[in-house]
Amino acid sequence: MSLRSVFARIVAQPRSWLRAFVRRERLEEEMEAELATHLECLTADLIRAGHAPDEAARRARIALGAATVHKEGMRASLGLRWWDEFCADLRFGVRMLRKSPGFTAVAALSLALAIGANTTIFSVAKGVLYDRLNVPHAEQLRMLVWNGNGHEAVHSMWGQFDSTPEGGTTSSAFSYPAYRELRAHNPAMLDLFAFKPDSMNATIRGTARRVQTEMVSGNYYAGLGVRPELGRVIQPSDDAAPGAGTVAVISYGLWEREFGRSLSVLGQTITLNEAVLTIVGVNPREFTSAENVQVSPDVFVPLSMIPVIDPKGKTSLLNDPNMWWVSIMGRAKPGVRDSQAQAALASQLDAAVRGTMLLKPGETVPRLVLLDGSRGDHFDDSDFKKPAFVLLALTGFVLLLACANIANLLLARGAQRQREMSVRLALGAGRTRILRQMLTESLLLAAMGGLGGLLLGYMSRNAIPRLLTNAWEATQFNIHFDWGVFGFTAGVTLATGLLFGVAPAGMAACAEVGSSLKDTAHTATRRRRGLGGKAIVGFQIALSTLLVVGAGLFLRTLFALRSVDAGFRTDHLILFSINPPAGRYAAGKDVQLHTRLEEGFAAVPGVQAVTAASVAYIGNGMSNDVFLLPGESIDRDKKQAEDFNLVGNNFFAAMGIPMIAGRTFGPQDSATSAKVAIVNQSLARKRFPNEDPIGKVFKAGDATGGWVRIVGICADTRYMNLRDAPPPQFFMLYRQQSEIGGINYAIRTRMEPAALVPALRQVVQQADRDLPIIDIRTQQEQIDATMQMERVLASLTAGYGLLALALACVGIYGIMAYSVANRRNEIGIRLALGAQPEQVREMILRESTRLAVAGIVVGVGAALVLTRLVKSMLYGIQPYDPLTLSAGVLLLLGVALAASWIPARRAAGVQPMDALRHE
Amino acid sequence: MANEKVDNQIDLLQGTLDLLILKAVSLGPLHGYGVLLRIQQISGEELVILQGSLYPALYRLEHQGAIASEWGESENNRRAKYYRLTPAGRDRLGEETVKWNRMAGIIGTILSATPEGA
Repeated sequence: MSLRSVFARIVAQPRSWLRAFVRRERLEEEMEAELATHLECLTADLIRAGHAPDEAARRARIALGAATVHKEGMRASLGLRWWDEFCADLRFGVRMLRKSPGFTAVAALSLALAIGANTTIFSVAKGVLYDRLNVPHAEQLRMLVWNGNGHEAVHSMWGQFDSTPEGGTTSSAFSYPAYRELRAHNPAMLDLFAFKPDSMNATIRGTARRVQTEMVSGNYYAGLGVRPELGRVIQPSDDAAPGAGTVAVISYGLWEREFGRSLSVLGQTITLNEAVLTIVGVNPREFTSAENVQVSPDVFVPLSMIPVIDPKGKTSLLNDPNMWWVSIMGRAKPGVRDSQAQAALASQLDAAVRGTMLLKPGETVPRLVLLDGSRGDHFDDSDFKKPAFVLLALTGFVLLLACANIANLLLARGAQRQREMSVRLALGAGRTRILRQMLTESLLLAAMGGLGGLLLGYMSRNAIPRLLTNAWEATQFNIHFDWGVFGFTAGVTLATGLLFGVAPAGMAACAEVGSSLKDTAHTATRRRRGLGGKAIVGFQIALSTLLVVGAGLFLRTLFALRSVDAGFRTDHLILFSINPPAGRYAAGKDVQLHTRLEEGFAAVPGVQAVTAASVAYIGNGMSNDVFLLPGESIDRDKKQAEDFNLVGNNFFAAMGIPMIAGRTFGPQDSATSAKVAIVNQSLARKRFPNEDPIGKVFKAGDATGGWVRIVGICADTRYMNLRDAPPPQFFMLYRQQSEIGGINYAIRTRMEPAALVPALRQVVQQADRDLPIIDIRTQQEQIDATMQMERVLASLTAGYGLLALALACVGIYGIMAYSVANRRNEIGIRLALGAQPEQVREMILRESTRLAVAGIVVGVGAALVLTRLVKSMLYGIQPYDPLTLSAGVLLLLGVALAASWIPARRAAGVQPMDALRHE
Repeated sequence: MANEKVDNQIDLLQGTLDLLILKAVSLGPLHGYGVLLRIQQISGEELVILQGSLYPALYRLEHQGAIASEWGESENNRRAKYYRLTPAGRDRLGEETVKWNRMAGIIGTILSATPEGA
């Protein structure tokens, strides 16, 4: 054929198909008309040839043949046939699905649940574990951390640290002088930049609030390669002199929320811890910070502003070689291996530390290590990694379970329709045609499930971030609906659906027509065909056991933590913090402010008791200090530090902590009176064995503060969290300290926080208009926040466990109902031969119990192995907790029996005559 | 054996039918019945075409762009669909004719061969 006619055909065919497809009704009419014309012409010719009109019409019809067949041929010529067949398949598929709404609902729902839940969890886990910073070439970024051997010359730290398995410390915090030296003598990497996440009091558009901030070096934006959405970024000139760079770059989120994305934001001022800063730029929407991609700080300011906006201690942090606080990142130099760069920088750090600090004998310089920085300063990964992996594993199991469920449902259905397939084959349907029909049905089901999953996943995309943040902090948690993840889970689940939907049809289609038709639906013997289904149901039961046991362990952990006695009354307590900026409140002034505030709060109507404390309990925070008895001196090799708290005079009464002996703090203890302290029972036992501590004296801290006399012993309380046993503690009065800084207030009241807070705020504003009340929460919310991980795990595993139970229930019911239907004949014979209905019922129940027991044994075995991995996340129970295990086993056995009860009753109710007559 | 013969005939007819239709409409626009009549007439009533198979063939050719159709009035005032040859169809008719003639020639040569040396 010539090129021209091939080309003509290529152009003509789609056009013709489209015309036929779009104007389908007209096409049908025209075909009808054309054939009618033909018939009329033929009839007329036959009449002319001498036939009678009736006879002529008859002959013409015979000569033309069946119009339906011709029209079918004409449609096929236009290429409409596959479309018509597809429509017919679809119609038939819909009809079949509508005929068994239970099957359709269960199948589509389990698909939707699996896809939705997996998309949600995978998105979060992917975000936490794998997402990179939204900056160009994030893979080139390296993070600087150090490892100490336990004797490192790092004694003051403000930042993230962790203990190494060898007993040392690892951290990403450096002193600013060390950063300056590293940056100045850095042959091995591209420019190093520094940053420090913090939170500060801000006044934005007239409202005082707490904001997340990031203090950044002048080359931070250049180093990351981030360009502003609006205005300019922070430049080296902004970071040149301490306190001079009064500029701020704000996040896209803050720009949107507070300034309505107005261009006039540039040049407006905000107050940040007393410093007035001019907004010079807005970050791009996708940029969060160098820290990670989940949390997006709202205000970025030059690091050199720290002496003005967040001074800590007496020396400026920019010059203090002893305080380790700033994070350092940089880009790898092309052609330089990480090991080379690390060695070069490590020797620089060594030189820098020895050059800026006086090392005491025995102290070492921490060893510098380069880590991957593409996901930011992900130092707190260890907190998230394990729970995230547990969640991933659980979700993976649920995905497997849902796939098994779909497979089981479709296999059983395929087996049920074996006869239908045989009849169709016998009537002349092509094998591919039957496969296509089944494929269409499976696709239809898959589409329903996929759509439901998409909807569910999209709606719950914020559910996990919400579970991970606490009630009072408006953290901007960035988790996006991840289309890639959705595609993956949907793909896996739908592929399972398609595979198991088409496979039975394929087997049926390949079988000889005759054998399947002769082999009636009521054969007397059990067939191997049921085995695939049974294996799948057994697998489902095993997975369900695993999930139920896991849920039981996490639930019991949560309940065990809930029932822990904190040692003080946790109800009706409102907590909040007040952080007077050090710039305005010099040492001593802050103590006066808090004394005034404490008195002011006590006078507010509805307040039963007020107290201040430097550390709020059960909030993952703690203070400790050296506790020296007469005759002892500071010895670095001994652990001499004890947990302590600086409190108000009313602390024990307000918190409801009972006194065991001696007296509590009272009005007689003032700033000028003799220094007094109270110790708890644990401390009394530990430091004063077989002695009465009351009346004894000790020194706290660097031992320059003078002797403090112990006047009372109080009961033990938990401190950082509910997991750890009550530590030894001592209490001193904040009024008797020279400086105190920020303080947490606890107010006992019967009123709702929302009703009380305006009055409290008024008290604060009378003292200082720019001072915000921050982190308002109840003690219970505070406690709940420390148990977030436990709660998330418990609620998710419980949810998954229920889902698994429901799916297993459906699976068992399905397989047993199918088995009973198949064995109707056999059961009829048994009954006819004298078996009692109870015996038949028992036979069926025995069968399902065997199946359940097999699944449960496998599940318990897997649970024993896997739960050991989460031992550290449990509280109050062992991974092999016998109660949880036996409860799980009993629950599954119960579910298995309940699910097979209906089929068993049906089997027992079979009328022998009916069953046998069916043959 | 009998089955195969029928199959062969149908195959042969299908290819040929397209060619015959193209030839018939190349002589002037025709409606379906007209195509049938013209082929029968030209063949001297020797060739009888299965009337039903005509229309799928017409639609196929139109689908492929070899012929185009238009509704009009038939000689006895009936609405009828007239088919005419398109330029692409004319090309194809030429090609197929050449091919057919070659094939007929080859088959003729083969069939007229006599035993060598006889």
